Amino acid sequence: MMLTNQIRCWQPFIGPFDPCKPMLVKTFVTPPNLFIPFQPPRLPQFPPYEALQKGTLWPLFFSPYDCRQQ
Amino acid sequence: MQKPLDDAYYRLLCELQTADFVLVELSLFLDTHPQDMEALRQFNQFEQKRQQLAAQYELQYGPLLQFGHSFSRYPFQWVETPWPWQV
Repeated sequence: MMLTNQIRCWQPFIGPFDPCKPMLVKTFVTPPNLFIPFQPPRLPQFPPYEALQKGTLWPLFFSPYDCRQQ
Repeated sequence: MQKPLDDAYYRLLCELQTADFVLVELSLFLDTHPQDMEALRQFNQFEQKRQQLAAQYELQYGPLLQFGHSFSRYPFQWVETPWPWQV
């Protein structure tokens, strides 16, 4: 189950003696900078104010960190 | 004298933050790409713009930084609140 292209999920092991209610699926974020070893020059940029909002100057590296919906 | 925290104050501070953020991003980029002429030109442009914004802010609302990094009028303005990070 993939929410967006940057969120991946995995199913933790659930044993009979788990003390708490088990979490069936857990998610983690894989931001773009994991897959780009060296930043190429002259990348397209956000306008300054939007860059401040989004947290990065280059759309290529933008990673939405939206809250979980459950 | 309580500083007038009007809309212009916050707009100017926001522009300053924007320029600062772009400068942080570009300086991190230039750390690994020292030969990138275009990024350097953009960095210098934003640095100039940031200095103008800071000068404009300090002219109207008092010092941004302490310990000799900003001018101050008489009496010493740093004593008054709010400080830039409090607003």
